[in-house]
Amino acid sequence: MLKSPNVVSKSKFRVMVGFVLVVQLVLTYRFFQLQIMDFELYSQRAESNRIRAMSIPAPRGLILDRHGEIIVDNYPTYILYGIGAEIRDKQKNYNVISRTTGIDTTILKKNYKNYYRNRFLPTRLAKDLTITQLSRLEEAKNDLSGVVYKQFPERIYNPKIRASHVLGYLKEMDSEMVQKMVSESDYEFGDLIGWSGLEQKYETKLKGEKGVDYYQVDAYGREAGKLEGEDNILPYPGNDISTTLDVSLQQLLEFELKDKKGVGIVSNPKTGGILAYVSAPDYKPDLFTGLISNTDWQEVLADPDRPLLNRVANGTYPPGSIFKMVVVIALLEKKLISPQMEVFCTGSYEFYDRTFGCWDENGHGKIDLEQAIVQSCDVFFYQAIQKIKLNDLAEFGKVFGIGFETKIDLPAEMKGRMPDREFMNRLYGRWGWSKGALLNISIGQGEILVTPLQMVAYTNILATRGNTQPLHMVQANDGWIEKPKISQRSWSLIQKYMGKVITDPKGTGKRSDPKIPGLKLSGKTGTAENPHGEPHAWFIAYGEKDGEMISVVIMVENGGHGGEVAAPIARKVFKHYFDDSKSKLAKT
Amino acid sequence: MFLDLRKKIIESPLGILFSVFGLVSLGLLTLYSITVMQGQASPNAFSKQLLFLVPAFLLMITMVLLPRRLIHKYIFVVYGLIIIGVILPFFGQKVAGTYRWINIGLPFGLQPSEIAKWIIVIALARYLSDRNLQMKNFGSNIVPFVIALIPTIIVLNQPDLGTAFVMMAPIIPMLFWVGARPFHLFLIVAPLFSILAASNVFVFSIWAGIMAIVIFMARPKLWHAIGLFFVNIFLGLILPWMWNSLRPFQQNRVLTFINPELDPLGAGYQIIQSKTALGSGGFLGKGWGQGTQTHLKFLPVQESDFIVSVIGEELGFLTLLAMLILFSWLIIRMIRLAQNASDRFSGLVLIGISTIFLTHVFVNCAMTAGMIPVKGLPLPFVSYGGSFLFSCFMMIGLVLNFGREELD
Repeated sequence: MLKSPNVVSKSKFRVMVGFVLVVQLVLTYRFFQLQIMDFELYSQRAESNRIRAMSIPAPRGLILDRHGEIIVDNYPTYILYGIGAEIRDKQKNYNVISRTTGIDTTILKKNYKNYYRNRFLPTRLAKDLTITQLSRLEEAKNDLSGVVYKQFPERIYNPKIRASHVLGYLKEMDSEMVQKMVSESDYEFGDLIGWSGLEQKYETKLKGEKGVDYYQVDAYGREAGKLEGEDNILPYPGNDISTTLDVSLQQLLEFELKDKKGVGIVSNPKTGGILAYVSAPDYKPDLFTGLISNTDWQEVLADPDRPLLNRVANGTYPPGSIFKMVVVIALLEKKLISPQMEVFCTGSYEFYDRTFGCWDENGHGKIDLEQAIVQSCDVFFYQAIQKIKLNDLAEFGKVFGIGFETKIDLPAEMKGRMPDREFMNRLYGRWGWSKGALLNISIGQGEILVTPLQMVAYTNILATRGNTQPLHMVQANDGWIEKPKISQRSWSLIQKYMGKVITDPKGTGKRSDPKIPGLKLSGKTGTAENPHGEPHAWFIAYGEKDGEMISVVIMVENGGHGGEVAAPIARKVFKHYFDDSKSKLAKT
Repeated sequence: MFLDLRKKIIESPLGILFSVFGLVSLGLLTLYSITVMQGQASPNAFSKQLLFLVPAFLLMITMVLLPRRLIHKYIFVVYGLIIIGVILPFFGQKVAGTYRWINIGLPFGLQPSEIAKWIIVIALARYLSDRNLQMKNFGSNIVPFVIALIPTIIVLNQPDLGTAFVMMAPIIPMLFWVGARPFHLFLIVAPLFSILAASNVFVFSIWAGIMAIVIFMARPKLWHAIGLFFVNIFLGLILPWMWNSLRPFQQNRVLTFINPELDPLGAGYQIIQSKTALGSGGFLGKGWGQGTQTHLKFLPVQESDFIVSVIGEELGFLTLLAMLILFSWLIIRMIRLAQNASDRFSGLVLIGISTIFLTHVFVNCAMTAGMIPVKGLPLPFVSYGGSFLFSCFMMIGLVLNFGREELD
């Protein structure tokens, strides 16, 4: 065979055999150590027969506002467990628990079945026990076997505000969710996991690391002290997150929108940080903790006003006249109109066989570009829009973020819709739509849909001429938004017009002015027709004083005229921010 | 023809079968105790293992009769096939969170990585027994690593850290056997030690000292020596820095991969239970079928990975000692056969296989005794499991075959 001869020295053989013997001796010594030297320790441990391992929950990180005020905190409650291998006579134990705490035995049985993993791990019987229930249970301890409890931090919320759509809630892991987890060791049955809002988005940061308690248990299922030779593993608390929210502003906006359907958002245009985020109606943030009863939950589910819907990010609405700045910028940039263009408004406009009405049936008379924005004249736009192609308009709509996610650091947001040629062809067929559709779109009606959150980003771009950052709730998403390619002349004109909306005697937004010296406001009202009844009232605005700037977006569903309903709410915000609380200035 | 085959079998070193027989019996006794004696109906681990022994024995005979010349000729083809074999499970379903098994319609899954272990050994032996090979060259030490690394990396992704370890283990002894310079072997292991020692400044300083002495004694060229020393120091220094640049959850994932005990409710609990079972067994054990810890099902894989804790609890230290002696005898016998082998190829195959057995024994026992993290390697001949039993008997078949005096 084509092989090398086998020449192996005696010493190689000795080294190999020596190595085998060393390995075997190490093992032998280890077995000797465990079985002979430590025999006493382990046989005692085996005698007591049960070693209990309980996970110690890690306190979740807190959620703070921009000034460090706590919005979401932890609150200690107690969870009751049964250990299958240690409970003798389950029914009897259930009866004792039921008698002392008032929890129905069927619930105990159901929980035991749900959370059961194996006979030696503690299985949850009931949660959210109060100290009173616990102390009564403690009195009856002699009648119980294999029943233990441990402290468990539950979420508790700042009573001043709700902010439920921002904060989100926690959900208890069930077996299906545990199996879907990538790393199963991170979660177990009954653990809480962030399921929406900031709690979900920042789950890995907030979560912390669980610890483990090992202890010995005697034959009666009672704790018999620490397990010798095994150290407990301490839990590692989660990290706090500092949001950009301002509790006092949030509180004010929640109050103003109480009993209404709609949204209110305040942000810092220079940084993109959100100071207040209200979607009304909402629900109590503790709805999903165990502290609330089932009937409340049913009530929220059955509410026709849909409090669970996050209107800010997931509600899509026609923008109405607040869209007109996009139209003006598109027309100016494409050099299709000049600021001197004049139109005579009679209150309606004939376009072939259709009549398009202005919101003011009496007509605005002779009107130029500035007054078309200031008085929000629709007829002006019906005429001007005919000069531009739909795709050119859509291009500018997209520049302002319509049809795209804002990428705010909250889970799940809608994209809205900026219709273009392709979209209209798909919807109506190649010949199924005409320029008439464009007339509708020019005043923010028809196929165009936006989320209020997109309008915040839009307002911030208008306020800063595009020098703004993406919207965020916690840390600044690094970098700036892609700056729109728009001339300084167009920016200056549009900002001037928006200023006039507030200051002009005929301006539709004048009711938003709190008349604070030095405060310069700019804005635009919108009144969006919709098939559900009264129009939606829109108002977007930004105000600047001494270099401090905030932007406000208000929308009241079926509220009526933007200038009459939404603008006064914005006035309260401006007044509060620039007048009442000079010290609380936005820094992030 | 028939007589020829018979002669082949009879001339094999059949003595090693005594220890195999002893170990299989110990395994069956233990399986009987934790299944039949606990009232488990058939089919259970005991009856299935008994059944597996029939094909295992036939496979062993097949391996004895395979002409060595054919093995030598075709091993690289087989090596290529087995690489495909270890990739295949990735296209199937995940079983228990890993891609280890192929389902081909049999009542049990096949685990190609079990066979891959010794196919790598034969491939290495073929490469290292080449006449033209110059072991004085450091480069000749690198190719074997490539041969073993390819399947190892695939198996690591299954993920199966234990098997991957077993695949790499035979390289060093085989290189040693074939005459690699001890200094070269040191070069190969040094970076590993540098990384391991990096976590502790004191240990690392000692290691740096040892390294300096060894390099000095080997007297390589000066710039080689300096380069070598600083590459190792650099490795040790950069590792903590890289570690700290990982996010905490990434660190955790790495740690849990290396040491599942960090999942304290899972593997950590198992180790405590396993130590308690072993320790409470004492010198003579609690008696066959009398183990309390193991029968309370504290240990989820007591019939395979943790079978040593059952033996230790019920039959005591004395039996474990006897078991270790049987294993030592088996392995030393293989090394003896390797020394007396008629050619280098045979000798290397024998050395490689003996290393596989030794690694299994050490990792399994050390894990059960809580010395090293839980790795999930079964104990040869004793643990329950079809694929592994077949693989072990095939290796014994190879040992019988290559240990035979053959002058052709």
